[in-house]
Amino acid sequence: MTARVAVIQFPGVNCETESARALSRAGLEPEVFRWTRQASDLRAFQAYVLPGGFSYQDRVRAGALAAKDPLLDVLAEEAARGKPVLGICNGAQVLVEAGLVPGGAGVEIALARNRMRDRTGYYARWVYTRTEPSACVFTRTLAPGSLLPLPVAHGEGRFTAGDPGRMEALLRAGQVPLRYARSDGRVAESFPENPNGAEVDAAAVCNARGTVLALMPHPERAQDLGALSPGLAGAWADARAATRIRGDREAPGPGMTLFDGLRQHLVEA
Amino acid sequence: MARKKVAAKAAQAWIELVTTDPEAVSAMSVVRAHLDPGRAPRSLRRMRVVELWGALPDGDAVAGLLHRSIQFYNPHKERCVVRGSADDPAPTAPGEHVVLVVDRGEERREAAERWWRHETGKSIEVREGVAWLMAFNPEVADPAAAAWELAVLRDRRHGLLCNPHAQEPLVAAAEIPMPWMAVTT
Repeated sequence: MTARVAVIQFPGVNCETESARALSRAGLEPEVFRWTRQASDLRAFQAYVLPGGFSYQDRVRAGALAAKDPLLDVLAEEAARGKPVLGICNGAQVLVEAGLVPGGAGVEIALARNRMRDRTGYYARWVYTRTEPSACVFTRTLAPGSLLPLPVAHGEGRFTAGDPGRMEALLRAGQVPLRYARSDGRVAESFPENPNGAEVDAAAVCNARGTVLALMPHPERAQDLGALSPGLAGAWADARAATRIRGDREAPGPGMTLFDGLRQHLVEA
Repeated sequence: MARKKVAAKAAQAWIELVTTDPEAVSAMSVVRAHLDPGRAPRSLRRMRVVELWGALPDGDAVAGLLHRSIQFYNPHKERCVVRGSADDPAPTAPGEHVVLVVDRGEERREAAERWWRHETGKSIEVREGVAWLMAFNPEVADPAAAAWELAVLRDRRHGLLCNPHAQEPLVAAAEIPMPWMAVTT
């Protein structure tokens, strides 16, 4: 039986269609689940995706209002049972503001305004992310150290914590499964390879079980190999060049690896 | 030609939408629906606070400069009250509690500083935060504590207006400090 995945749409979310398409391509059964439905209906799904966008117009703070929605109460209960949850960009901000990642007591970290050299505000570009050793179910198909080019597009994507050692501790605990990197595989350390100033170059943070992932880059926008930026280097760029020659622009791109990881996990669960 | 008097070292601009603020409306709605309704405020307003620090002209000249540049506010949509000294009252209503939320390390407004330098030849520092003004019904025993509780995010059930992992909540006692941000962040 195909696993059902709820793609949760709050008002202002705008990446639900492409997120659902990526899930479908991975062999899953996505369904856009709007905020007006009964929260308890969420229990019928095996996994959840909170897509990108601007939930509630980012009022008060990105993700802050959606984090209080009754849907998040059910989502937290289902996540506690081990059901996978992927928050992408604004979805990541919702998960952080709701305290579902890193998943300790209450809200432990923030996704703060980008900190960039000689600029402020919203920033969009392709970045390299490096896979770190982790129990994360979404990166399970990726060997540690492998590079995944993904696009970012946000104004508030800087993982940070009030406790100065918290992000470092999460990295050591395997709860930072993806870090911003350079094309040669070294961690980014500075702008623009680290596009927002995130501590420990974190592009994503997961809970201790690896089932809930707050991810700032957009894997759904990298589901087609032909969508990769021409300026990228590495194995994925080589694969893209080959597909251009074959005319197969919709061959699975790097973003699909995360959705494939979800499918594999659900098959085994 | 007489030189312009340079007296004040700090000024505060309190900027509020002329129309109902949608952020405050949404915040109030969420507070009433999903947080402790017994301690919800009777009213919740939101104002941007822009603080200037440096060699400033007098209050009227500061107000005139702020009015001229979209770096500070849009006079077609927002009203602005300038405090030129600590003796000038902040535009708060009696009984309102104020929590100023500042993005830690990101409070400077460098584009506004550049504009100011271009217009006046003077270098100043410009900082910005968001003030949430709350009034509570008399049955709320400790309104100052309730304001703090509403402001500082702890979990899905407690706090909303300030994520303390990236933001600093500043609470004024009876008087609104001047400067407020420059000396505390």
